[in-house]
Amino acid sequence: MSDDTIAIGGDEYTRVAAVGDIESNRGIAVSVDGIEIAVFNADGEFYAISNRCAHQSAPMCKAGEKKINAEHTWTESRGGVNAEACTVSCPWHLWEWDLETGKNEASGQRIATFDVAVRDEDIFVRI
Amino acid sequence: MGSSIQRLDSNAEVPEEAFDVDVIDMDFHVNPLEEDLEPYIEDERALDRLTTEFGMWPIPDKWDAAYAIAEGNEGLFTQGRAEVAEDVYEACQKFAIDTPIVNCALNMLPQQHHPVLKNAVLEAGNSYMLDHFVDEDVPTALSIAKWDVDHALDELDRWGDEDGVVAAYSWFDPREPWGVEAFDPVFEKLESLGLPLLLHGSLAFWPQHSYVGDEMLTWTEVLGFDWPIYGMVNTVNMIMRGVFDRYPDLNVVFQEAGHWWIPFARYRMDEFYEMHPEDVQITPRKFEDGGHYLDRAPSEYLRDNIYVCTQPFALPRRAGEARGMLDLSMASDTFLYSSDWPHQTLDPPTWFFTSRAFRDDEELRDDILHDNAEEILRL
Repeated sequence: MSDDTIAIGGDEYTRVAAVGDIESNRGIAVSVDGIEIAVFNADGEFYAISNRCAHQSAPMCKAGEKKINAEHTWTESRGGVNAEACTVSCPWHLWEWDLETGKNEASGQRIATFDVAVRDEDIFVRI
Repeated sequence: MGSSIQRLDSNAEVPEEAFDVDVIDMDFHVNPLEEDLEPYIEDERALDRLTTEFGMWPIPDKWDAAYAIAEGNEGLFTQGRAEVAEDVYEACQKFAIDTPIVNCALNMLPQQHHPVLKNAVLEAGNSYMLDHFVDEDVPTALSIAKWDVDHALDELDRWGDEDGVVAAYSWFDPREPWGVEAFDPVFEKLESLGLPLLLHGSLAFWPQHSYVGDEMLTWTEVLGFDWPIYGMVNTVNMIMRGVFDRYPDLNVVFQEAGHWWIPFARYRMDEFYEMHPEDVQITPRKFEDGGHYLDRAPSEYLRDNIYVCTQPFALPRRAGEARGMLDLSMASDTFLYSSDWPHQTLDPPTWFFTSRAFRDDEELRDDILHDNAEEILRL
């Protein structure tokens, strides 16, 4: 086990970021052993799901990014995190994914989700 | 051994290979604010009426695209709102688009009733685009009225030979199709200018106020099928009524009309025409010219004069099936890539770098991504 990993309940978790690295209701993308993962901060709760939308492979980590000339549109961001519903919507086509189950209700499709643990201001993900 | 961990740079949203290929986007929308268009409305009377209380009053719809989208009308601006050239460059960088063909996206204009006011707005949109995009070397498609041929000709006289204007932009809809002879002066002018005619779906003509249209209650029916039906109707009408015998160098591009209907039209037109060709001689152009039959098989005009934009591509996931569809669609001659930025229907060029149908056929990929567009646009 390296400095980047810890064991929780017998499972290996990999450190992917510090808590302060991810703004509230935004995400970052990391690759862990070649797997692309988007890690989201939903009002202080952290979730990890596949970074690729099942629809057309959009990078989910961009959800919540500010639009071009956002002030002249009705909403500020390209897709985004809905902390209350515990979902994230894709920045391209607004497909909505459950952050806990990875499910899209409309299509019935799922994308991968990953267990997350926070220890001492560090975020760990189990692959 | 520890895990391999890497923070990804997600500035680019499409595969890296996309940045190594020229990508021409045939349908990139610019959305100037109303207040930015107003200074370009030259007639004081029109400006006064447009800025007094209500502005233009649309014909009411019974259905709204916003019903189908989680964020409602925000589907129009899911990616943002481009107003000047720098906005376009910023958006294109994310999606590896090298050459966006921008248009003013006044797609609601045909829905307006008042002929003087909508001509004034159309002119203002073109003037805005000339100042903010053509003069900034962004290749631009400027708008011409379908509802007023004389006005369309006036506009083509005003800017038709400007460098940087690469196409004329108008709309298809369930009203009179583009095969009608009244449009001949427009075709003649476009041919002489070397400009293709881009025909975009119009927000004006949701298929309502008819028995069938009134019962269309979903996005899937209206955008998914009604627009393609009218794209197909316009295509067949132009071909069978002899537009391309009279104007063989005219190129027509359907935007948001779908594209997988090409095989259906290709084989069905030829079958029906070859078995029942005797009424072609009494269509007005043939009648006037003394022609008996079309000069070529209908499918040949489809291959040579008609183009369809790919957004949304909806490519079959199995590469073999995709290849079959592309072959039957004559995609190497008829398909043009389009993104439809900034709408929720955005289609980045991802398909061309993830499907084996294109990995195994880079020539076809290049035809759709840039070669076909370069052939017809006045770049």
